Amino acid sequence: MAYYSTSQFKNGLKLMLDGNPCSIISNEIRKPGKGQASNKVKFKDLITGKTLEKTFKSGESLEGADVMELDMQYLYNDGNEWNFMDPNTFDQFTINDSNMDDVRGYLVEQDMCVVTLWNNNPISVAPPNHVLLEVVDTDPGLKGDTAGTGGKPATMNTGVVVQVPLFISIGEKVKVDTRTNEYAGRT
Amino acid sequence: MRQALIKKAKLLEKIRAFFDHQNVLEVQTSYLLTHPTTDVYIDSISMQVNKDIAIQSKYLHTSPELEMKKLLANGSGDIYQICQVFRDNEQGSENFNEFTMLEYYRLGFDIHQLMDDVSHLFSVLGFTQEITKFSYAQAFSTFANIDILNSDFNALKKIAKSHDLCTDFEWIEDLQILMFTDLVEPKLAQYPLCFIYDYPSEQSALARIEGRISHRFELYLSGIEVANGYDELQYVSEYQQVFAQENQRRFELGKTAFAQNLDFFQQLQNPLPQCAGVAIGVDRLFSQIDQI
Repeated sequence: MAYYSTSQFKNGLKLMLDGNPCSIISNEIRKPGKGQASNKVKFKDLITGKTLEKTFKSGESLEGADVMELDMQYLYNDGNEWNFMDPNTFDQFTINDSNMDDVRGYLVEQDMCVVTLWNNNPISVAPPNHVLLEVVDTDPGLKGDTAGTGGKPATMNTGVVVQVPLFISIGEKVKVDTRTNEYAGRT
Repeated sequence: MRQALIKKAKLLEKIRAFFDHQNVLEVQTSYLLTHPTTDVYIDSISMQVNKDIAIQSKYLHTSPELEMKKLLANGSGDIYQICQVFRDNEQGSENFNEFTMLEYYRLGFDIHQLMDDVSHLFSVLGFTQEITKFSYAQAFSTFANIDILNSDFNALKKIAKSHDLCTDFEWIEDLQILMFTDLVEPKLAQYPLCFIYDYPSEQSALARIEGRISHRFELYLSGIEVANGYDELQYVSEYQQVFAQENQRRFELGKTAFAQNLDFFQQLQNPLPQCAGVAIGVDRLFSQIDQI
């Protein structure tokens, strides 16, 4: 795998840090009047999702991480594993249920999403920004309240709970913004 | 556009009036030199000239320091210069290949007198806020709880590791500087004007050493370094020793080492008068004035 020197650091570059693949979030170069330049770098650990900060002297190199982001179709889950398919190659990938905590409420079968592969193994999934979910449980709506002034919690078919306007009733499909977990309209 | 130009011109006028008032003489020295700087982490921009006659390498000055010291050694008295300086391989949001430098020397001053004089200059330019002063050791103990003057390379590496800092340095001063940048400098942002003085002897550069410390200072405006002052070395043998060590280090780092600056040594046959000098980054200074 290639090595990258600090002068090649840029946002989004994927590097190996303490054994985990990480993505650069920010890279600040400092050059004191007397003395060596250094880089203060913020990373996102692609396995744990945590943000970390490290300082390097300029010129230091880190090993690149073999990380790819591919558009894949979500097929189904069997309770233990979630299955995805690369529509170009028809290759299928599985992710363990325990790694799906942040996203399982937004994955709808057949939807396209972005799967991150490290050394050809999937490590994370990003759902589309908006998904269509069906309301399976919520308090009865108030007839005539179409202005959407108030709100109430509604449980979706995927299990996620979203604040929706009062006029939404069970069985309706609503658009949800997966980045904010907010109601984004009716179909 | 014209408003900004007028503002800058007025500030330069104020700087010149400040020095004129104190009988400090404005000088101009050569920008194009036959010798590059030997500073380990500053690179001169080089060029080939006289291609049609007898090809020769020349270098843009990275600071007017040595040229001004030739004048001082030959009886110029107090002098100042405002000039463009040029540096290669600069990186970072506050660093550029070309910037404006104000450099001045005061005979008979020590660094504390020079810090007072710099404070006076800054107040004339509009920085009237309270001035804070920390010795380098005080700053480290106050903001990072580190005894910097009594920590050897291994001890410092251990502390740096605990802060997730890089420790892979050849020389202790590089690690001191990194730790200062990361652990102390961010805390200086709370002070409008803050002097740091008495650096560890390892970071003496061209400043006079006394025991564990070198008589140097830096001035930070809200955490941004704008000035670097020294109690200047006087004797040619001291300069020869520093340049030889810098060249040796450049060599060890795989950078180009350079021929001795014999002309400078020649001009320092008479030692420099005891003096203190300071370099001030004028562009950074002006950008800070906009914020006050």
